[in-house]
Amino acid sequence: MTLIAARPGPGAARPYRFPSVVRRQVAGGQVVAAHLPGQNLAVALLLLDAGAGREPVGKEGLGGVLAKALEEGTAHRDATAFALAVEGLGTELVTALDWDTFQVSVQVPVDRLNAAVELLAEAVRTPRLDPDDVRRVRDDEATALRMDWANPGPRADAALRGALFGAENRWGRPMYGDPESVAGLDVEDVTVFHSEWFIRPGTLIVVGDLDRLDLDALGAAAFAGAGGGPVERGGPIEAPLPAQRRIILVDRPGSVQSTLRLGHPSPHRAHPDHMAMMLTGTVLGGAFTSRLNHLLREVRGYTYGIRADFAPSRRFGRFAVASGVQTAVTAPALVEAVGEITRTQVGGVTEDEVAVARSWRAGQLSVELQSPRAIAAALTTLVVHDLPDDYHARLRESLLAADAGLVSAAAAEHLHPEALTLVIEGDAAVVRDELRAAGLGEVTDATR
Amino acid sequence: MPDSGYPWPIETTQLDNGLRVVVSEDRTAPAVAVNLWYDVGSRHEPDGQTGFAHLFEHLMFEGSVNVAKTEHMKLVQGSGGTLNATTNPDRTNYFETVPAEHLELALWLEADRMGGLVPALTQETLDNQREVVKNERRQRYENVPYGDAWLRLLPLLYPPGHPYHHATIGSMADLNAADLATFQAFHSTYYAPNNAVLTVTGDAGADEVFKLAERYFGAIPRRDDIPAAPDGRTVAATGRPAVERVTGDVPAPRVYVAHRTHPYGSPGYDVTTVLATVLGDGRGSRLYQRLADGERLAQPDSVGAYGVDLAHAPAPLIATATARPGVGAQRLAAGLAEVVDELATVPVTASELDRAKAMLSTQWWRQMATVEGRADALGRYATQLGDPAKVGERLPAWLAVTAEQIAEAAADVLRAEDRVTLTYLPEETS
Repeated sequence: MTLIAARPGPGAARPYRFPSVVRRQVAGGQVVAAHLPGQNLAVALLLLDAGAGREPVGKEGLGGVLAKALEEGTAHRDATAFALAVEGLGTELVTALDWDTFQVSVQVPVDRLNAAVELLAEAVRTPRLDPDDVRRVRDDEATALRMDWANPGPRADAALRGALFGAENRWGRPMYGDPESVAGLDVEDVTVFHSEWFIRPGTLIVVGDLDRLDLDALGAAAFAGAGGGPVERGGPIEAPLPAQRRIILVDRPGSVQSTLRLGHPSPHRAHPDHMAMMLTGTVLGGAFTSRLNHLLREVRGYTYGIRADFAPSRRFGRFAVASGVQTAVTAPALVEAVGEITRTQVGGVTEDEVAVARSWRAGQLSVELQSPRAIAAALTTLVVHDLPDDYHARLRESLLAADAGLVSAAAAEHLHPEALTLVIEGDAAVVRDELRAAGLGEVTDATR
Repeated sequence: MPDSGYPWPIETTQLDNGLRVVVSEDRTAPAVAVNLWYDVGSRHEPDGQTGFAHLFEHLMFEGSVNVAKTEHMKLVQGSGGTLNATTNPDRTNYFETVPAEHLELALWLEADRMGGLVPALTQETLDNQREVVKNERRQRYENVPYGDAWLRLLPLLYPPGHPYHHATIGSMADLNAADLATFQAFHSTYYAPNNAVLTVTGDAGADEVFKLAERYFGAIPRRDDIPAAPDGRTVAATGRPAVERVTGDVPAPRVYVAHRTHPYGSPGYDVTTVLATVLGDGRGSRLYQRLADGERLAQPDSVGAYGVDLAHAPAPLIATATARPGVGAQRLAAGLAEVVDELATVPVTASELDRAKAMLSTQWWRQMATVEGRADALGRYATQLGDPAKVGERLPAWLAVTAEQIAEAAADVLRAEDRVTLTYLPEETS
């Protein structure tokens, strides 16, 4: 035998050191920064309390339209001149939206960060928002969403979200809106949302070689002309669990795969079981070797992959499973998935599984210490969820201390296989009868 | 202008069995990237065996003599690592990033599947992964609008018998016909140490890595009769454009324009890279300014142009746009062709060139910001250009490209008679 049979053990563990965090009040806003000595790329990210949760019901997609409209010219220059100025620095404005925040960021060689933040602030604070431009951007966004919704997934996601949280609530509707809600927005919706939420200072996240950056100057640029204070965020929202399991069918005629979305409401981000739920999700469907992927991909060959996770935001959360399976095995795949969730809830997890899950999650914290973008994301977590500077180091310790008892308790408490909503986006004519026969729950059709 | 796009140390050695080892130390974060480039891709596949290189990549995760089925993933993720592999026409790469103390485990796993895969390969594993790959094909190419564009462009760009003629994912018929003996032979033929480059970057020193590489890989025998892929360097021009129209379940008309340019790593491809950025990357690009803004023929998020970084034949340059509501495919195709044609006739301005170079610089440093990005680049340069240190030349070469070179390249490789045009039409407008 030419190979070494014995598996080597680990070498000496390197210490985990999150970069030192600097928090500073500047020009009416807050700067939160991390020092990456020697790194020649830097990131600045403006964090605004203007997430999808701030959009009025019926106005879903407002943040997305505004994000695009920011680049259609400013008080100082038109859209083309703005694009050339930003791209001439080698960057672009990257916008991102989730339930809790609106984020705009730039990533550039460190000596250009000041100029890039000035342009970022120019777009966010003083966009031109010409009515013709806003209408055109809205139409383009509606078209872009129509394109996206032609793919499998968005319709199933919307059906699940509506079933979990109720379409009468903003959080029961798609985070980015849908083609119709965006098409229905008018210019005033956009300008009012901007004046309400985009003038408040917010928080500027800066990651890079701080020896070569002036945080005061960056903060002054980001917060120039901003005003208004923070707004009450609202408390946790309790979404009731359905009384029984149900199936919702979203028709996609001729589809060669069925897109599966299974889920139920779960606790918000600040829940004390957060870390244990994260590990439950990892064992069940968060890693390649997780239970669901092992069974449905590696044993059965039903799918290219299947994932599950708990996704908590500031006010609410949901547990969900996502996959695409070959049409012919839709019902057996669902039976297997629900079965595995049930086994996990009832029987808990093993020490071996938790050992893999906890060291993976903890190790990822080390691996993610590399790029300015990854560190900026970690700082964003601190700000959005009011966490201390040593949060990541402490999280790492509590992950490594987790055992099967803790994770099994979270699985028993927070998985609800009997209250799952099972959404299937696929060829309804082909799969309907076998879904009925599978006995997993009553089958209804999505309302659109 | 920087002298080098790679300011980290690079140290190399070669084991007696031919395995090349590249190490680039950087102690900034407590992580190491381990990356193996095998010089085998779908270009090596004969007729009737399309998709085999990629299906084989899946089999590499299913256990080897000392690693039980499913244990590979479990050990890497259980160490806090991230892992994956990709196959393209040129090559197959396998990579993991792990906390630095698990470097030796990663090397042991890679050595075990390089030297000991065949005895562990079973019919059951092949049958299972064949189904997984067929599901991958459905999910990525068949069940999404425009998903098969790449599968259609390749045979239009490269004639039958050319190593890039068929797509890496392969055909369902060939996948169904795959038998175990072929895969055992595939491993014995191509997965030899002298057909691979092992790269380690991050929190590890060269001496340590060289010693470990010798320990774990040193006894794997070399193979001296590895068959070469067909030569694809010269593609005879047909003298007439290739056009394909597809009517299907798509939400709007979309046009792809594609050309054969130069192989990755050549001076001509450096010009192509800058040209593609001028043409189609960002809101300041010509395609955006002309088609998304300007005439408003295209949906803003849909326009773009990029080179596909392939090294063993003239690599494709692809430009694409999707029609705004009310705009027909013909008008869009004409607009797209016009902007491409103008690269030869309307000189690129200094500000267009500066914009493109600034964007390429950031893009380059973004890849170099992580140890896994650096490891993959070093593996590429060692495998395809013979020397990992050449990685430092790429960014300066981009930054040295002139407007005249772009105009010359456009006149040379973007001629209308060498053009491939693929158009998707929604069913109801056909």
